Parts: sequence; C-alpha cells; structure tokens
Amino acid sequence: MTTIAANRPAMDGKALDLTGKSGSRAFKNTLATVLIGLCFLLALIPLLWILWTVISKGYSLLFDAAWWSESQRGITVRREGGGAYHAIMGTLIMALITAVIAVPIAILGAIYLVEYGKGTKLARAVSFMIDILTGVPSIVAALFIYAVWITILGFNRVGFAVSLALVLLMLPVVLRSTEEMLKLVPDELREASYALGVPKWKTILKVVIPTAFGGIVTGVMLGLARVMGETAPLLILVGYSKNINLNPFDGFQGALPTMINQDRTELSLQPAADRVWAAALTLILLVLLLNLLARLVARFSTIKSK
Amino acid sequence: MSVNRLLRVGTVAVASLGVLALSACGSDPETSGSSTPSGSSSSAAGGDCPEGTLNAEGSSAQKNAIEEVISKYNEKCADVTVNYNPTGSGAGIKQFNAAQVDFGGSDSVLKTEGKDGAESEAAAAAKRCANNPAINLPMVIGPVAIAYNVDGLPKLILDGPTAAGIFQGTIKTWNAPEIAKLNPGVTLPSAQIAVFFRSDESGTTENFAKYLAAAGGGAWKGEPAKKWTGTGAGKEKSAGVAEGVKSTKNSITYVEWSYAVDNKLGVAQIDAGAGAVELTAESAGKALAAAKQSGTGNDLAMKLDYATKAAGAYPIILVTYEIACSKGLPAEKTALVKSFLSYFASTEGQASLTELNYAPLPEEIRTKVDAAIQSIS
Repeated sequence: MTTIAANRPAMDGKALDLTGKSGSRAFKNTLATVLIGLCFLLALIPLLWILWTVISKGYSLLFDAAWWSESQRGITVRREGGGAYHAIMGTLIMALITAVIAVPIAILGAIYLVEYGKGTKLARAVSFMIDILTGVPSIVAALFIYAVWITILGFNRVGFAVSLALVLLMLPVVLRSTEEMLKLVPDELREASYALGVPKWKTILKVVIPTAFGGIVTGVMLGLARVMGETAPLLILVGYSKNINLNPFDGFQGALPTMINQDRTELSLQPAADRVWAAALTLILLVLLLNLLARLVARFSTIKSK
Repeated sequence: MSVNRLLRVGTVAVASLGVLALSACGSDPETSGSSTPSGSSSSAAGGDCPEGTLNAEGSSAQKNAIEEVISKYNEKCADVTVNYNPTGSGAGIKQFNAAQVDFGGSDSVLKTEGKDGAESEAAAAAKRCANNPAINLPMVIGPVAIAYNVDGLPKLILDGPTAAGIFQGTIKTWNAPEIAKLNPGVTLPSAQIAVFFRSDESGTTENFAKYLAAAGGGAWKGEPAKKWTGTGAGKEKSAGVAEGVKSTKNSITYVEWSYAVDNKLGVAQIDAGAGAVELTAESAGKALAAAKQSGTGNDLAMKLDYATKAAGAYPIILVTYEIACSKGLPAEKTALVKSFLSYFASTEGQASLTELNYAPLPEEIRTKVDAAIQSIS
C-alpha cells in the first residue's frame, strides 16, 4: 500500500492519503504547527512583558516587612517608607464581603437552574438575566449602586457599597461556572441515588455538589480574582484613605487598585513610582495566590474512588 | 462526609485568605520625615487636638501640598485622621455639596450663578451647611512657570504680549524682534520655538490662558478654558509637558513650578510693566496680595488681576481654595475642620509648602484666612 501511495502522484491521492503522508500534506502540517506556535509566542509576549516590568520594578519593596504591616499614613509622594497594609486589608475585606453575599446566591441559583428549573419559564428568564448581567461593565454596576446606596438611601460612600457593586460583577461569573460544573455531573449518579430511595435534596447535597465541588471552588476563586482588580467601583463608591480602616461600614478605605491610582501621576518621583509598581505586583500576587488556592482545593476535593 | 469536606475546604480557604491579615497586625509607620520634637513647635496650630476622621476631596493641584501638611499635622495631632482624595475641583465641589466630605478643595471658587436656572454651586453648598453659607478659603498658591529649554540662555524675560504671541504661534523663532527687545545683549538662537501644551483638560491650562487673555494685549485669541486653544504639540499631564521640554531643544511650555524645578528647566521671568520679576515663593505670593476679595465677610473668594503691575509680583498663579461650611456641621466635625485648617493656614503649615515649590500665603491674606477659620462655628 505504501508503495502505491508513493508511486501515485498527489492528483488523485485522495483515496490513498489515509495510508501515508504526502509531501505537501507534511509541509502544510509543519506550516500550521509553526504558525500556531508563533501565534502562541505572540500572545505570550505581552504577558511576559507585563510580568517582567511589574516584577522588576516592584519587587524591591515587597521584601520589606513594613510593606506588609504598615499603612501610608503621613507618607508623602516624596518620602520613602510605609506599606500597603491598609490597601491589602481593604481589598481583602471588600472581596470577602463580596464573596459572602455573592457565592450563596450564585450556587443556589445554579442548583435551581440545573436541578429544579430545567426548561421552566422562570429558569429561562433567570438564565437570560444572568447573561445580561455578565455583560454589564463595572462602571455601570458602580453607578447603579451609587444611585441606590447614596442618592436614594442617602448613605455615605463606604467599602460596603463597593462590595455591593462587586457582587453584581461576581454573581454571573460564579453562577455560570457552577452551572456548568453541575451539568457535568452524570445523570447516572443521580439516578443511582434516587434508586436507593434518597430524596432529591439529599441527592443534591450529598452526591451532586461533592462531585462538582472542585469545579465550584475554582469558579468562586476565579470570580474573586476578577473582582479584586476592579477599579471603577472603588473610584466611585469609596474614597481612598492612606490610613488603616478595617470597618467597611464607615469612612474612606484604601484598596490596592486605588493605591496605584493615587500616585499614578507622580511617576517622576522615585518613592511614589516604587510604591505604584510594588502595589501592582502585590495585587498580581494576591490574585495568583487565589488561583493557586483554587487549584489546590480542586485537587484535594475531587472524589477519589470511581 | 461531604459536609466534613466542605467544612475542611472552607476552613482552608478562609484561613489562607486570612494569612496575610493574621501574620501581621498592621500599624502606622513611624513618621520619619522631620525629626523635630513636637513639643517645641506648639505655635499657631489652633491649640488643642480633637480626635476623629476628617474626609476631604477635590483639586489635584494641591495634592502634594495637602499631603505634606497632613503629614506635618499628624506629628502634632496623632489622633486625627485626614483623608484627601485628589479627584479634581469639580468632583470636590460636588462631593462637598452632597455631604460626602467635610471640606472640599477647588481651583475655582463656588459659582454664585447656576447654569440655565439650575441651583448654583454656592446655593447647593449653603443647603449642605444647614442653610449657612459655605466659605472659600484661599490656602495654596501654585505658581505656573513658563519653562523653556534653550542652550546658553540661563535667563529669559517675557512680557504678556510676547508670551501670548509665542503660545498663539504668531512669534515663531527665538530671535524674533519681540523677544530680542526684552532680552537686550543676549544672543538668541534662530531656531523655531517648539511649544508644548497639556493635552488633557487642566486647571493649569485655564489659568494660564486667563493670564494670556488678560495680559496679552489682544495677541491671545482663544477664550480661557480647560482645553488648550493655542499652538503647539500636546503632552499628557504636567509630567508629560515637563518631559517634553526637557528632551526637546528650543522648546517652551507652561507647567506647575515644581515640575520645572524637578526637571531643572529654565523658568522665564515676567515683565508686567514694572520690571522683570523672577518666579519665587515671595513674588507669587505678592500676586495674591494684589488681588481683590470678591467674596463678602469671611468668604475670601479672590479675583486675581493677571495684568497686575504691582511691584515684584509674579502674575501667573493658580490658587486652590478649601471650601468649608461657615456653620452647620456637627460639633465634632467642626472641631476637626477648624483644627486642621488652622494648622494649614498657620505660618508653620504654610512654610512647609515652600520646599515643594508652592508659594506660602502672603501674611496679610494668611491672617484673614486664619480669622475666617476661627469664625467657623
């Protein structure tokens, strides 16, 4: 067969191609491989460039213990010293509140969509709304909360308002990923459970969720990572403070994105520039940490016996 | 079992999130800046220190000034936290009027006439202060330098019409007769003048255009606005224009003084008719001293005369006002506002601005501002 393939010209090689590689096909294959490889490298360039810039300019301050334990109180742009404790805490507190509100709603919503509401009108409406919510830009979410929280309810700008806006951004991300994970759970597992006489709610709690748990946690962490870098809600809904404020219900609160924004215009002054880069690197590290955590949790929580 | 796992994984997640938080209990840095013992300098700082948090927002032109003053103030009154958000003058007034901040910072005074029958800024501010008028307190003088980069020209003298001609584009070369006349005995290059302007909307641009319109003798054509209407190449922000002049021979721009100094650029002297005046903290202060008060009583809104012929006055300045309630804030906030602003307006507070290339308030204005702050109740 191979000899025939070699002897026949490529013209009517169609029927025989299955048996071996012709020169032109091998060439096309190599060409495509090279092209795709190049595209991959091209996509990698900006990523590596950003990482390299941020790390090389920002790493020095991170080795300073003060960076992790002190605020910027009393530190002006011309002065060195201080840390990002206030901003790290602000970011973590806002993210935590966001997660506490958004995650239960998102997971319960996903359970409803997959387990109970399949095909119903309400489920379709919810699904449609979530699609819309996915496309809402962060600035719109922020302005919506501004209108509700400050204009209508008359409250002040506080960290909690930022969390509310972030909930709007995190909810669709977590709900969609949870939904996909629940859909992946094979129906056979559910049916086996029903066959043993286990009620539906118990099946969901004991069979479906544990099976999908790793994926759900990954979705939550990715959602968190996404909202932690959001800047628009911070700019609109809370003032930046250089001081430590651990109360999200009162007063201005610092956060890493606004800390970067604060000294962005003073890059000609070295202490300010160093801090801006270090804050950027800290934010990237926090997000990286969350992603690693998601991986770990996913690994340790998969069902072992199959 | 799944509940157990849920619990276990949840604990891990929360614990890891909290690692940062728990590993170090955060604190404020030791203010290392100046090691002056706080006991020795108890002069004009409004006496006792209250406790609490003061929130303010507004002009970015005074950002570095107010941060410095907050830092110095905290050496004295450690229990007061002052936050300042440099989001811009317009935002400052808006947030003040919406009762989101305790005082605002603005490069222009509260407007007393509303647009198209809408409520004016001053009226809205009065409403916010429980129907007491809000007052404008001039606090920071930011001189605007005409910065240039020409080899072998350590000193350059310009007057209003010449500056207007250069920035309008009617005077095109450095050895133009108008410039030569003002700088006798100096060899000027025949090179083209490269003008840089702020491409972003800026209060500096507006103030500089106001000066060109007032002192330019008709050579300036545009209406003063936050957007540049003259000639030249645009650069973003003060850092951008300063960098542009630094890296381009035979160029000129207008920029906050501190940027001109930080970038070691030449700064033109201004001859308004009473001899050439160098830009110094003192000469910039004199321009404010020569201004007329347009507000009444404790409202120290000033009307700058950009074409002033007052001796030794450098006319191109930008004044940042703090906008505060004359009455009507809760008592504890009033105490905080008074304490902080009176330190800001004290000789000590103002003196700390000089090293940042702002100009301190001239004494006669400073005492008026101080009196106005003391009248807040």
